[in-house]
Amino acid sequence: MKQTKKYLSERKFYPVFFMVILTVIFVGVLAVFYHLTQARVQTYKAHQFQKMVLLTLDLPVDQIEQNYNTYITEESQSGFDYYFAKRNDEIIGYCFKIEGSGLWGMINALIALNQDFSELIGFRIIDQNETPGLGARITEEWFQKQFQDKKIRHDGELIKFTMVPEDDIPENNQVQQVTGATSSTRAVVDMLNKNLVKIIQEFKPE
Amino acid sequence: MTKKQIFINSLYHENAVWRQILGICSALAVTNQLMNSLVMGLGVVFTLAFSCFTISLLRNYIPARIRMMVQVLIIASYVIIVDLFLKAFLPDISKALGPYVGLIITNCIIMGRAEAFAMKNTPLNSAIDGIGAGLGYAFVLLIIAFFRELFGFGTFFGFQILGQWWTKWSIMVMAPSAFFMLALLMWFVYNVQLKNKKD
Repeated sequence: MKQTKKYLSERKFYPVFFMVILTVIFVGVLAVFYHLTQARVQTYKAHQFQKMVLLTLDLPVDQIEQNYNTYITEESQSGFDYYFAKRNDEIIGYCFKIEGSGLWGMINALIALNQDFSELIGFRIIDQNETPGLGARITEEWFQKQFQDKKIRHDGELIKFTMVPEDDIPENNQVQQVTGATSSTRAVVDMLNKNLVKIIQEFKPE
Repeated sequence: MTKKQIFINSLYHENAVWRQILGICSALAVTNQLMNSLVMGLGVVFTLAFSCFTISLLRNYIPARIRMMVQVLIIASYVIIVDLFLKAFLPDISKALGPYVGLIITNCIIMGRAEAFAMKNTPLNSAIDGIGAGLGYAFVLLIIAFFRELFGFGTFFGFQILGQWWTKWSIMVMAPSAFFMLALLMWFVYNVQLKNKKD
């Protein structure tokens, strides 16, 4: 008996064939779109990071790329990547990338130390996933400013940061915590203390 | 149904959030600020419109047994386009929305409209239905976000409205308040819709 010719859509392999073709088309479109936007995304990310490094080192950010190239050199010592800042032969300081675990995820930040590692020039949070409106307030200016220009070493010993409630007046290296976000504040303080110990051990300043 | 009826039906009468209780996880997650809700809403409108259109266009060729796989592939592609677009052109908002943009893929509204409407109707009507459902979703997000942002931060789209005297309600910023607000909204809408039916 002569078999009647089957339509393509009635054949067994049709679903597989359909899925493969569709996947190829859509992935192709996405690849093109990704390629078109990627340059922009990368430029923005690099730009944002350079701005943060400058801000942390208390350098002007009026012309980010130009200032970054003038003052900053990227260096590395036994696994520690850092950003070394110099203005006309005068050493401004060292900026380190640090990380610690927050309440919901990792917190990434930058800290800058002065020439002899005795003072913290600045502290900036780059990424965090804390609760919006509560823990996320650790990114507010007043909170981050609390670490600025603080003496962190006395007779070669590290002076650790500690927390006080938001209404108390902080002394020396005490940090006012964010009300309702004790865990997030503690995460930041712990991250700083731990990383400062590591950095000082590694670089052994006089 | 005329095009206008399709639109109003999916926007209001059969609103995805308050009528079908779909897509509420993202509705709860991003509504603590109006700006985030607006962008999220627009992202969903875009994804819904284009994926319903595409799925409807292919509806006679999609093998029935693998139709869900095909739908997910199409929806995911449009969501990735939204995500890439935000990363490239609105990086701050992309950062604020975080993983929620990617999670539009799992927003049940989109799959729901694709299955319930786009598989059976013409591309243009499906796109209209998608836009209606998307706007209905965005509308709910904005109402909830309006109250949460106002009470939680004292602001409207980031502008300070309530002065220093206002004690910010931290609860409004956190997830539980979204549940209260959504429940209140549903209660309100049900009453209005029921009343209209009686009249």
